[in-house]
Amino acid sequence: MADDIQKTVKEYILKEFLPGEDPEELTETTPLITGGILDSIATLKLVAFIEERYALTLAAHEADVEYLDTIADITHLILSKKP
Amino acid sequence: MDVSRAGKSAIPKRVGVALQGGIEVREFLIIIVQLSLLMLVLRQFQIENSAFIRLALLTFAGFVVHAVLPMPYRLPFFLVLSLAGIGLVLGVTNGLWLVGIGLILIGLCHLPLASAVRTVLLLLLGGLLVVLRVDWLHAPWSQAVWPILGSMFMFRLIAYYYDLRHDNAPVSVWRTLSYFFLLPNVCFPLFPVVDYKTFRRNYYNTNAYGIYQVGVEWMVRGVIHLLLYRFVYYYLTLSPSEVTNPGDLVRYLVSTFLLYLRVSGQFHLIVGMLHLFGFHLPETHHRYYLATSFTDFWRRINIYWKDFMLKVFYYPAYFQLRRWGPTPALIVSTFFVFAVTWFLHAYQWFWLRGTFLLSWPDVLFWTILACLVVLNALHEAKHGRERTLSKASWTWRSATTLTMKTLGTFSVICLLWSFWACESLSTWWALWRSAGEWLTADARLGLPLLIAAVVIGGTTRDATGGGGGSPQKCGQRTVSWVRSPASTMVLLVLLVLLGIERVHMRLGTTVGTVIQSLRSGKLNRLDRAMLDRGYYENLLRVDRFNSQLSELYMKKPAKWLDQCLDTVGVMRFTTGFAQTEFIPSVAVPTYYGMFSINRWGMRDQDYEQYPAPNTYRIALLGASAVMGWGVADGQTFEALLESRLNREWAGKSYEKYEILNFALPNFQPPQQLVMFEKALTFKPQAVFYVAAGYEMSRAQRYLIEVVQKGITIPYAPLRVIMQKAGIEAQTEETEAHRRLRPFQGEILAWIYQHIVEECRARGIRPVWAFVPQVRKGVWEEETPEVLQIAKTAGFITVNLADVFKNQDLTLIRLAEWDEHPNTRGHQLIADQLYAALQAKQDIIFSPPVTAEKKPIHR
Repeated sequence: MADDIQKTVKEYILKEFLPGEDPEELTETTPLITGGILDSIATLKLVAFIEERYALTLAAHEADVEYLDTIADITHLILSKKP
Repeated sequence: MDVSRAGKSAIPKRVGVALQGGIEVREFLIIIVQLSLLMLVLRQFQIENSAFIRLALLTFAGFVVHAVLPMPYRLPFFLVLSLAGIGLVLGVTNGLWLVGIGLILIGLCHLPLASAVRTVLLLLLGGLLVVLRVDWLHAPWSQAVWPILGSMFMFRLIAYYYDLRHDNAPVSVWRTLSYFFLLPNVCFPLFPVVDYKTFRRNYYNTNAYGIYQVGVEWMVRGVIHLLLYRFVYYYLTLSPSEVTNPGDLVRYLVSTFLLYLRVSGQFHLIVGMLHLFGFHLPETHHRYYLATSFTDFWRRINIYWKDFMLKVFYYPAYFQLRRWGPTPALIVSTFFVFAVTWFLHAYQWFWLRGTFLLSWPDVLFWTILACLVVLNALHEAKHGRERTLSKASWTWRSATTLTMKTLGTFSVICLLWSFWACESLSTWWALWRSAGEWLTADARLGLPLLIAAVVIGGTTRDATGGGGGSPQKCGQRTVSWVRSPASTMVLLVLLVLLGIERVHMRLGTTVGTVIQSLRSGKLNRLDRAMLDRGYYENLLRVDRFNSQLSELYMKKPAKWLDQCLDTVGVMRFTTGFAQTEFIPSVAVPTYYGMFSINRWGMRDQDYEQYPAPNTYRIALLGASAVMGWGVADGQTFEALLESRLNREWAGKSYEKYEILNFALPNFQPPQQLVMFEKALTFKPQAVFYVAAGYEMSRAQRYLIEVVQKGITIPYAPLRVIMQKAGIEAQTEETEAHRRLRPFQGEILAWIYQHIVEECRARGIRPVWAFVPQVRKGVWEEETPEVLQIAKTAGFITVNLADVFKNQDLTLIRLAEWDEHPNTRGHQLIADQLYAALQAKQDIIFSPPVTAEKKPIHR
């Protein structure tokens, strides 16, 4: 399940924010927020995607580096919030 | 020298449970060598102030111990070092107060009570601190504590409290205390808003040597920013009234914005220092001058502030409002963040300066910037922006577009910044009204400049790599133990060599003089003039936080001498040209001793109106320093000189010597004419006109002031000059200064000539003496030109410009924010003036030629 989530999130990020980028460049540990890929607008788009795709509700403090900086972090967050 | 914004290395962020922190001997020595060179540079160039130099020494020495300590002891050691730094800079008593108040604030956050209750308690304590800050209740600690207390807690407490409510990580006393009492903070009232979670999470999160090396590089970058700032501050800044052509306008706009280098320089120093203790914090600024849009600018400049706003205000607001739809939520949340930024700017000002800043330029600046960021954000939300994980491809088209965007953004930001920094809306508007006259004529210069900018910008952008928001291969930086320190050491050695006088003077007089001037921090000519005005005027717009003058004002006690003189009732307004005078026969105690006015309205002992036979009487004209600002009766150089003359000369050529002190505070050259006429009624044998700095500028300023107030200038030649310059009551002030500046010399020349002619007509010796304020850089204060005017007018001149040479200025001035001489300074002036009079005794004290008395000609 974690692999599915990682794959889905990765595809979304590549499609939405890194069109035309080599998928091999984006790994599960690539820093997204601290690396400048995701600014505030992109982060909120990602939050909206996660909430819609996985029927979750994120809190404001979860739109943060600690939870969304890498695909691994995002996967961990989704898994922690799923029942 | 690329630095990842998070500073993360390729090593995963957590390696098991144990933290890293070890360093090899070779790596340790490399860091030590760089820090030693850096310490030399800090001392040679007197970066910041002496307190910071001492703190830097403590920091670097502390690093040596800290780096070899076992990990569990490092955070406690850092805390102890930070507390030692507080004691070193503020003193033990103030330090204890600061730490005590801080512990109470931190303690309230951790009380075992409901969050709402803790919030209320914090607000109540905050309210009490507000009451103490505005002096409604007297605080038992020194004023010096407030800016640092504010700096440590005003924002970090908000960030910390927010994280306490949302963070599950265990609390560590050492970490919490270290977070608030951060070592460099005691020297920097303006401090980056370090995020608590980042502070916790990034502690030794990669190899120690990498963290230390980044820290050293950032400190070096900070020093370079600060030196560049000094160059801009000393040599490029203009006042609005000095802008007379397109070149001046560009210089004014760009230099005003570039003064921000001081903030970015300080922040790099601060965060670099923290790296030395394992705090692997991100960049505070990321090439903000290369922003390609307003959102990009917002993301690059003061990144810690942006992150603080995002976390505590923007995201919570957006999440509350998103049910309205993403676009309305984005718009309202963005405006909300800028409104909060404006408010917190004023809130910060309150803690640092003790007053709440509310000015229309401030409000308009943030409003306009908010509108621009919202428009950009809406565009980005709809169309996205370019991002890449690899290096961006370069074409002439992409370079041109990027450069145009960068230039456009930079230009608008400079424009907005100039507006924010201007004294008033009318001043800024007057600047552009004049600009309209020349922009059309010189617009043809724009195209070649633009083409050059595209070429240079395109190639430079390629060299630096990446466009706005396009990151480098982040998270992949590993520190090469050869390349990074080597280039840093070369740079440091270069700076050390340039700091040596024998070396930089070999580069030519001009370059050598410039480098020599960069070796100390002092006020530039504009801020010095503002400081002088600030003794007498309540200057509310000393609010550019990057201004060295505003830092001085932070230290100035609320009730300084200016307020004292206003409140003790020694001065009154008059309806005449001089506008103010002393109230006769008044004696009041002040902080610096007795302040007495005799029956004639002079700050002096009593005299008869006419001198006794065989008495040599000198009438002394001057301003605040001559009057004896900040010293008690009898301690002025005038009183000391008079005593000495009577002790050593009385009974020889003359039985007695008298010096009548007609000086008043804030009296400008035109006002001296009024006191000169009064002095003549006391039948002096000599008139001593004591000039301070900025004689021409101050004369100009005063004449504009009286015209604007509708006060008649009683001297026809001065009225003619004002008419020639086209100065009327309704002329806007900046424009009036611009028109009158070419006549400055003529104004002062007439004033001096008039005094000399009237003296000669009465057989009175006219003597002109220059007594500087207690500061360096006399050459900047119009003195050479004014001295020439005095000589041409016919004065006997006495130049005491070197009276404070080779003296420790901190021991002879009243305070850092008040450059009037103290009692020791007055003694030095009296001694040197005595020596000068002795040298010119034959000229000044020879028996006067009896002259026909004539009425004063105006």
